[in-house]
Amino acid sequence: MDLKALKAQESKRKISKGYMWALFCAVFWGIWYLPGTVVWVLNPFDEMYGAIAETSGDAVSLVVTAALITAFNALTVMLALMLWNGVLGKFGELGRTLKEFHPCSKWFFLASIFGGPVAILGSFMAMGFIGGAFAAVAALLYPVIGSVLAYYWYGEKISKRAATGIVIIILGGITIFGGGVITEIAAGGVPWIGYLGGLMAAAGWGIEGAIAGKGLDISEPDVGLTLRFLGENIIWWIIIVPILAIVGFPMYSYAFQAFEPLTLLVLIFAGITFGFCYVCWYKSFPLIGVGRGQGIGNLYGLCAIIFIFLFFGDVPEWTILIGGTLCVIGSFVMFTEETAALETLRGE
Amino acid sequence: MGKNRPIKFRILELFLDGEEHWNYEIVSKIQQEYNMQGNYGRDSINFDIIELASGGMLKDVEQKVDEEGIYKKDFLLHKYVITDFGKVRGSDACVRYM
Repeated sequence: MDLKALKAQESKRKISKGYMWALFCAVFWGIWYLPGTVVWVLNPFDEMYGAIAETSGDAVSLVVTAALITAFNALTVMLALMLWNGVLGKFGELGRTLKEFHPCSKWFFLASIFGGPVAILGSFMAMGFIGGAFAAVAALLYPVIGSVLAYYWYGEKISKRAATGIVIIILGGITIFGGGVITEIAAGGVPWIGYLGGLMAAAGWGIEGAIAGKGLDISEPDVGLTLRFLGENIIWWIIIVPILAIVGFPMYSYAFQAFEPLTLLVLIFAGITFGFCYVCWYKSFPLIGVGRGQGIGNLYGLCAIIFIFLFFGDVPEWTILIGGTLCVIGSFVMFTEETAALETLRGE
Repeated sequence: MGKNRPIKFRILELFLDGEEHWNYEIVSKIQQEYNMQGNYGRDSINFDIIELASGGMLKDVEQKVDEEGIYKKDFLLHKYVITDFGKVRGSDACVRYM
């Protein structure tokens, strides 16, 4: 085989690897909605929601319960990632990267602020005050924010074709969940705090991707990701949960009750799927760029619907089928991009 | 020096001399410094170089087919040079040694 053919083959392999990681991210992210939904009806979270709602109202109760669930989610994700790094033999690199606060760790901790208490909590706020449909639609817009930030901040190229693909995927996402949103808006009053939550979800995840890209380009993705979740665990378990406990919510008594077999199993399942969705997400960024990685990752909307249908038996509406088709078309627009244009993702 | 730093920092540091280096030269140097012998260590270091290149910090300037099997027989060997962006990121990360 001659040099040119080998070169083209190698570049193609690299880019298809990047897209493969992004697609795996979408599948894991979609599966995550199963334990993420189930955990709300399990004790102690079910009891906790009821107990706090009686004294402080539904809204406060929902945010506080969501905070504890998110904290446990962060914990099990961290466990899954430690195992992953152990298998890859990367503990040494983990320690070396952690020490580099100025060039690396700083960015991962910043990313964890936008990913955890902004994006994930924002999603739960949107789910609680408006509904899951709105939360998902709002979150689907994050690649727009991520791509625009990456473009202005560190000059990442977005080709017209990639932009077109991202737009089609977003249109698909809006169609999938649009029916539900219209119903909710028709039902009356505008719950502003929910819209704020939706904005937090889209902005939080978009900013997280762009910030993480900054530390990620000089560190290893598996390691960077673990540090990002280390940051989130510190935020939840050392800052937010104790503050909520001091304010008077029974955080610890319910937290200790989470150690029962079924609840633990569901939490661990959530940790593994969420953890590996992030592993795949972060791995795709250096290969295909933040914008494209996030765009393909957005197929999670379609994956979530398929898995929810398979496991809970919720039959999809026609808007979901059309939206899903749009998502697939959008991803193919991005897939078929000329590989030469991708050889270097950034301007020199 | 450099031994206790993340691998990608060390790779950038090696390229900060502004010279062109073949990937197998860098890989074997890192393998030695970080005690990462074996195919897994080799491939994982090479992947770090690929990531740095697709991040725009290194530029792929020359390729040749590995006919003698110095690195991986019948695979492509790459020669890289640091870019201006790589110099900025590299000296940012390696500022302690500048």
